[in-house]
Amino acid sequence: MRLSDATVVIRPRTTWEAMDLGVLMSQRHRRLLMTSWAIVTLPIFALLSAIFWDSPSLAVFIFWWLKPAFDRLPLYILSKSLFGETPTLNQALREWPRLLKPQLLASLTWRRLSLSRSFVMPVVQLEGLHGHAREQRLQVLLQRNAGAAQWLTIIGVHLESALWIGLMVLFYLLLPQQIELDWSWQTLITAAVQDWRWLEHLTNAFYALVLIIWEPIYVACGFSLYLNRRTVLEAWDIELVFRRLRQRLSTTALTLLLATILWVPGAQHVWAAEPVITPDSPRLLDQPLTSQGSKDSIKALLEQPPFKNKETVTRYRFGEEKTDTKTADDSKTPEWLKALLALLDSPRFGFLATLIEVLLWGAVIGGVGVLIWRYRDWLQAFVSRRPALKSKVARPLPQQAFGLDLNRETLPDDIAASAESLWQTDPRAALGLLYRALLSHLLHDHHMALKTADTEGEVLQRVEQLQQPALLAFSKTLTGHWQNMAYGHRLPPAHLQQELCDGWRTLFGPGAAH
Amino acid sequence: MSEQIEPGSPTHVAQQRQRASQLAQAVRGELRKAVIGQDTVIDDVLTALIAGGHVLLEGVPGLGKTLLVRALAKCFGGEFARIQFTPDLMPSDVTGHAVYDLNTEQFKLRKGPLFTNLLLADEINRAPAKTQAALLEAMQERQVTLEGRALPIAQPFMVLATQNPIEQEGTYPLPEAELDRFMLKVRMDYPDAEQELNMVRQVSRSTRADMLDVQPLRTVLQAKDVLALQRIASDLALDDQVLDYAIRLARATRTWPGLILGAGPRASIALVRCARARALLRGGEFVIPDDIKGCALAVLRHRVRIAPELDIEGLNVDQVLGQLLDQVPAPRL
Repeated sequence: MRLSDATVVIRPRTTWEAMDLGVLMSQRHRRLLMTSWAIVTLPIFALLSAIFWDSPSLAVFIFWWLKPAFDRLPLYILSKSLFGETPTLNQALREWPRLLKPQLLASLTWRRLSLSRSFVMPVVQLEGLHGHAREQRLQVLLQRNAGAAQWLTIIGVHLESALWIGLMVLFYLLLPQQIELDWSWQTLITAAVQDWRWLEHLTNAFYALVLIIWEPIYVACGFSLYLNRRTVLEAWDIELVFRRLRQRLSTTALTLLLATILWVPGAQHVWAAEPVITPDSPRLLDQPLTSQGSKDSIKALLEQPPFKNKETVTRYRFGEEKTDTKTADDSKTPEWLKALLALLDSPRFGFLATLIEVLLWGAVIGGVGVLIWRYRDWLQAFVSRRPALKSKVARPLPQQAFGLDLNRETLPDDIAASAESLWQTDPRAALGLLYRALLSHLLHDHHMALKTADTEGEVLQRVEQLQQPALLAFSKTLTGHWQNMAYGHRLPPAHLQQELCDGWRTLFGPGAAH
Repeated sequence: MSEQIEPGSPTHVAQQRQRASQLAQAVRGELRKAVIGQDTVIDDVLTALIAGGHVLLEGVPGLGKTLLVRALAKCFGGEFARIQFTPDLMPSDVTGHAVYDLNTEQFKLRKGPLFTNLLLADEINRAPAKTQAALLEAMQERQVTLEGRALPIAQPFMVLATQNPIEQEGTYPLPEAELDRFMLKVRMDYPDAEQELNMVRQVSRSTRADMLDVQPLRTVLQAKDVLALQRIASDLALDDQVLDYAIRLARATRTWPGLILGAGPRASIALVRCARARALLRGGEFVIPDDIKGCALAVLRHRVRIAPELDIEGLNVDQVLGQLLDQVPAPRL
């Protein structure tokens, strides 16, 4: 690398200027860059489209993902042409497989989504660094220009999409209206049947075309950013100046050097004899411009406009005018008025003033109160919220339903046992007892609001709301048999006795009364 | 406790009852296919069919009143006629009239659309009272007197009338005597959100505009089947307590403070018959108080008149009757 051979002017630039340089570089070699990019990418894109014909999005995604691999070719061309060795198309293409080798996997996997991709690419490809060395290098490079590199990528993403969409819109605009109508009609009719894949692949192709234009520019911008960073870090511009100096002065340098060496010892002697000079030393104070004088003039300068801005503001102020008005009005105000005012100001009338104040406030508050009272209905209806419902009035629990006495005291202690004993003689009474006990249980233990008007079906619906499957199942069985007995006049089967009594015991405990 | 003794062999009766229940439930299933989201209304209409009564359907336009009746006619193999009631409809347009035949030089009777099994009286309150009165005899006595001759109407005979509650313009309210002859007055309300969604999806998917074309219905019921259902329903066991409950409900309307006009004995009869029909529809073997309570609202709502002060307060008949049902004690044993 010979900096003196560089085809661009090497000097420290701002980041945006550096990117601009990249654009110019890619412009100079646009034909080579774009042709080589197209030759490499388009066949691959065609291949991907053919392979993933059924999933166009996947094809374009893979193509997009492979971009770092394609990027190496433009970078190679740019780096060669920087020092005047622009390769031909053939050379560049032949070189590409070799370029792919170093760290391809890394750049296609975990480094793929790096935002400063184009900026750090030269580190791997041109410097050939890897591992720890690469990381150190990146650390140094990214200290200053990481932000710009990331912005470059972000702008690139937007530009790419804008161009892509623009190309699609252009395509759409160029469609003859008749064809467009026909298409929309066909999409309507044969939405499910027709194969519209080719359209999606066409859209993908637009992306590939956009990349031909944009991607070399992106690579070039990253490359120029990288160059700029190195120029700053390694002071290439100063090196270049020195090189030019050396070229020009290589003949006279030797004599100059000799002369310097001969002259320097004497000069050192002279410097050593000089006393130390301070601002207060008499030699300096004797000068036409003394230290004091310069200090004063500096102070005077500092008082002047660029350093101090004095403004004069004129405005009215009320605080201090009191005395003036009083004296001015004295002649016009009649004496009696002044006397009256003085009298009223006296503490004697203080309580009267307080009284009047209280009365006035009272009138205001009372007026508001009267207004609220007058329009209370309107306010209730339109302003305030509905009055909160009064808390549920605790209703006395009904002691009777369906002609059954539900009071706990009237029930036997062991209901299941009593029912069993009753079953033989009076099955109806036994079933009635069980049903009565169930209702009593619902009433007292579950606080169910049973009304006398509730039918058996409605009681069952309320049991359903309790969400206790066991209780519900038992209640259903019992209610069914009770209805059979009471309204259908059907005697319950014998085995039912045991079933119901067992059900009762499992649900409410062996000796439970309720 | 008294054992109910049924005529015929008990197992045979039970089988018949089971078959009748299945038949009724099949009709219900078919109707639910056509009329989505109106299950209670379908139940009420079937109740009236089994109980041998007439139904007055009330609802805002577009709820499927006419659709329900047409669906019922499709499921029902008997004759179906429809009269669109208009302000200029004459009684003879309903019952029929005598026409002079020039060939035979004699008067011939031409029977009106009333002579059918299932009669849809669409928008019944659009015709004046005299035309509405043409239905009175047919509905109660199931016969029509034409030219001095009483002509019987085929059994079963059921009138399904629809009316619109909102429109007052150009309508004639039904007289009490006419209202009383309807066994049930069924209110159709808007379907649930889910059911409406379901219905709209089904109908809009089809290219046909009519719901009946969307769901072709089977004819599951013949005229004689209906008669059999009615007979089986009327044989269903009814406990005295349940009967008493029905009577107490009807009687309570007469003394209820919120009602100025109570229901007559016809209401009690209708209550019991409806309860029997509901029991059959439910698949039950006897009537329980729930059957009475379930149809009480439909039976009573058009037979009572609410007190004006409650009307002004914004209460409607259904709310007052709901309070009544909440107060009248269920059967005691």
